[in-house]
Amino acid sequence: MHPLNWVIVVGWLSYVVVYGLWKSRGTKGIDDYILANRSLPWWAVGLSVMATQLSAVTMIGTTGQGATDGLRFVQFYFGLPLAMVILGVTLVPFLHGAGVYTAYEYLERRFDAKTRSLTAFLFLVSRAMSCGTIIAAPAVVFSAIFGWSVTWSVALIGIPAILYTMVGGVQAVTWVDVKQMYLIVIAIVAVAITLLVQIPVSPSDALHIAGATGRLRVFDFSFSLTNTYTFWSGLIGGTFLMLSYFGTDQSQVQRYLAAKSVDEARTSLLISAYWKIPLQALVLLIGVLVFVFYQFEKPPLLYNPAHERAVLAAKPAEYGALESRYAAGLIARDTAARAVARARDAGDATATATTTRAFKTTDDTISAIRNRALDLAQRVTGQPSKDVNYIIPRFVLDHLPIGLAGLFIAAVIAAAMNAISGELNSLSTTTTIDFYRRWVRANGSDSHFLTVSRVATGFWGLFACIVATYAVNLGSLIEVVNRFGSFFYGSILGVFLLAMMPRAGARGAFVGLISGMAAVGLVNFREPNVAFLWHNVIGAVTVVFVGMLISVVAGPPNLAASRSGSAGATS
Amino acid sequence: MSEFDPIAQGDTGRRFRRTLVRVIAVQIVTLALLWLLQTTFTA
Repeated sequence: MHPLNWVIVVGWLSYVVVYGLWKSRGTKGIDDYILANRSLPWWAVGLSVMATQLSAVTMIGTTGQGATDGLRFVQFYFGLPLAMVILGVTLVPFLHGAGVYTAYEYLERRFDAKTRSLTAFLFLVSRAMSCGTIIAAPAVVFSAIFGWSVTWSVALIGIPAILYTMVGGVQAVTWVDVKQMYLIVIAIVAVAITLLVQIPVSPSDALHIAGATGRLRVFDFSFSLTNTYTFWSGLIGGTFLMLSYFGTDQSQVQRYLAAKSVDEARTSLLISAYWKIPLQALVLLIGVLVFVFYQFEKPPLLYNPAHERAVLAAKPAEYGALESRYAAGLIARDTAARAVARARDAGDATATATTTRAFKTTDDTISAIRNRALDLAQRVTGQPSKDVNYIIPRFVLDHLPIGLAGLFIAAVIAAAMNAISGELNSLSTTTTIDFYRRWVRANGSDSHFLTVSRVATGFWGLFACIVATYAVNLGSLIEVVNRFGSFFYGSILGVFLLAMMPRAGARGAFVGLISGMAAVGLVNFREPNVAFLWHNVIGAVTVVFVGMLISVVAGPPNLAASRSGSAGATS
Repeated sequence: MSEFDPIAQGDTGRRFRRTLVRVIAVQIVTLALLWLLQTTFTA
């Protein structure tokens, strides 16, 4: 990469670390560290919530998915606005009004300590692992592209984020997120404009070429439990996933608990609902445009340069033969794509239909050759060869102008830092409040708990970096993160739904939670083809059904006793 | 349950409702545009 690009990357990283540390200078107690003294404005909280979700996985995984699979992935987010509205009128007023530090703390007031501890534990396990995969996503790609060791790549992304999160807590996390969001949006828009300028046909022709390969098909109304991305799985399964993620996951809950009031808290949630679908559609569209760009520019046969080097060294003849066929196929596809553009420009409908069919045939040939090359890479390296996460980084480094490439790489690192800093902060809060203060030392000075929180942040940061270092062979990372979360999310949501039902009791909640996870485990084991978005629905419904059944059989809960019993732990 | 009641905190919720209307409008426009994109360009 050009030195100017490196100057931009290093300059930005240094700037955000210094800015985060500067913003944290007022952090003197646990309230500052965890909730910023409930002083954050709604727009900053909203941008921060958005930034936490816009990880590096979005920047490189989602764009790659757009290039290979088109826009249909956006259906995954169809449930998000609905979930935000439901949360805004239900759970947010409950949690914000309860004056708690963590969502799980509320569960002890409503049910008992073991339900609180189990949900908090599940959060720690799933978040710590996902935090590792979030660092691993860009680290693996950087390692392959720049030839660094994975450990160094992980350190470059992880250490700056750990540093300002450890020192500044939610205050530093939120304000750095706001800055980084600006950079990410600027980088995304700049790449989109550059692509439109560099593609040698009109935007309308470019979209027609993408449409001919099905990449602009957004809506799939088939009701299938095995198809991962459909309108219904996005709307129903996605709503349950988003309800659980934004309503019960401490990494999100902590943000709106830090808002000044209930109204500001739920307005901040709606900021995410505003832009999530348009922004994801734009990110996917960039991937689609990269696909169109490579109709006219020779794309690499394998996007992962490390795999390319390994295959060239181990099977030069076989790879060379594939490359020759690939080069000939690309020339045919280029010619076919230009014929489509000419026919459309001439307004000839018959010629457009004929040339579009011819183009589709040449594109299928290219896909078949690429699949053979990927199989070869898998045989040679013994690693999954799916290279969807390498498409955008290769495009950025090979074709973006100097400066813009650095801006994009900085935005990818920024996105990774945003996601992990928010998660580290929430992991630390849960460790301190739900375990240390609940089970180890209930009474301590403010500065003592602040120190514990900082140590916990450092610990989880280190843990995530270790997970990231070993999580190098994960295939499509975005799906790994979402699949992992879906194993627990639905069941945890079910417990919070039970908490809002007056008849639900502690025993019902605990047994329901175990049953929900068992049901998801059973489905995963027995029917592995059921798409993971449905796991959230299965988990939540099982918890509510079993929990209510047991609660009704066991008799009405004694809410007053359960609340007074935990008063000391939550004050 | 009064401690959990947003109304009891004196929140009017006006900003929330205003933002909600805008959110719904943005989603409807986005979905319509995506539908248009699909129907116009998908063979």
